[in-house]
Amino acid sequence: MRVSEDLVSDVAEVLLTEEQIAAKVAELGKRISDDYAGRELTLVSVLKGSLPFMADLMRRISLPLRIDLMEVSSYGGTSTESSGLVRILKDLSAPIDGRDVLLVEDIIDTGLTLNYLIRYLKGKNPNSIKVCSLLDKPARRLVEIPLDYVGFEIPDAFVVGYGLDFGEVYRNLRFVGVLRPEAYES
Amino acid sequence: MDRREQFQQRPGQAADEETSRGRRPGPAFAHASEAEFARILDFYQVAWEYEPQVFPILWDLDGNLLESFAPDFYLPDLELFVELTTLQQRLVRKKNRKVRRLRELYPNLRIKLFYARDFRALMLKYGRAALLSELSGTLGQVSPHQDESPSAEPQNRPIGAGRAGRKGVDIDLAESAAPAERDSKAGPGPHYERRSRGARRRAVRRAAAAAQMPAT
Repeated sequence: MRVSEDLVSDVAEVLLTEEQIAAKVAELGKRISDDYAGRELTLVSVLKGSLPFMADLMRRISLPLRIDLMEVSSYGGTSTESSGLVRILKDLSAPIDGRDVLLVEDIIDTGLTLNYLIRYLKGKNPNSIKVCSLLDKPARRLVEIPLDYVGFEIPDAFVVGYGLDFGEVYRNLRFVGVLRPEAYES
Repeated sequence: MDRREQFQQRPGQAADEETSRGRRPGPAFAHASEAEFARILDFYQVAWEYEPQVFPILWDLDGNLLESFAPDFYLPDLELFVELTTLQQRLVRKKNRKVRRLRELYPNLRIKLFYARDFRALMLKYGRAALLSELSGTLGQVSPHQDESPSAEPQNRPIGAGRAGRKGVDIDLAESAAPAERDSKAGPGPHYERRSRGARRRAVRRAAAAAQMPAT
């Protein structure tokens, strides 16, 4: 994998600017604040891709809330051999029974990870589980899961930035862009 | 090694691992892309069946079955069929036609087509780009049923029986082994919550009735 020093050179097109993202996050934060008023909200961020979104979103929600982080292993991982079954790499640090959980994701494409996470979290007896994703790529969907809050529906392209990576790189781009094919084909 | 044999044991799940879970050996996949897809489903604990049903899709004027279609995967928990089409564009058109026909005849049936670009994106996402060159696809899902009894009812295929035992397999794998030999390699697949064959048959009967299939 060859990465340009400024990262930006590897981006073919800026799909969502920093300003567009900020405006959408503010809008989502307002909606969530209205919907969850008077309830015990826990935001659960799914590492690592949703970190920037989570950090911005939580500051746009005007309610008392808790945050927690989860990480699940990804198919393929870092090795060339599959590691068998999905695993929770980092579990919740506090119980969620009776609480209203909002799962914060960077992107939903196949829905496989989200499907697994929801099943897992339901076993912890929360009052409710809803999903907030910055990006939705419905063209790739395998598991149909209702998304309660969606920032942007995006076309079928390989996107990076604002937490999204390719080979653990590009997460720190402040926008969401389409990666040049040369970047992942090299 | 015959290519079918090569894909029979699902990569990433060693035989001893499967034995330790009390699961039977995997089906003989017709292609590496299918084996890889099954591994992904296994990883995320999504139940699947490999080519569990054959759907009649074309009859002649006398009601004799001319053509049928067996989607690659059925995901029972999601009530979704998945067809992988990781092959050349000219062959994709043919498969698209079959899927359109399937949707016309069985409107209650949910099927997702996974194109080469979808599969490629999936591999990139999971850091498996190195596998892409090995994962070109086949057209093996279409069979003319020249010597099968005409039937309006979709055929239930033994789980994991694969496509090699059918006639009219116009794919690169068709020459790789004699039909009898290939059938002998087919085996039942691993399933987390497999529906009984009767339940599947009833579900498909309902779909066929809803589609007002031609009487035979």
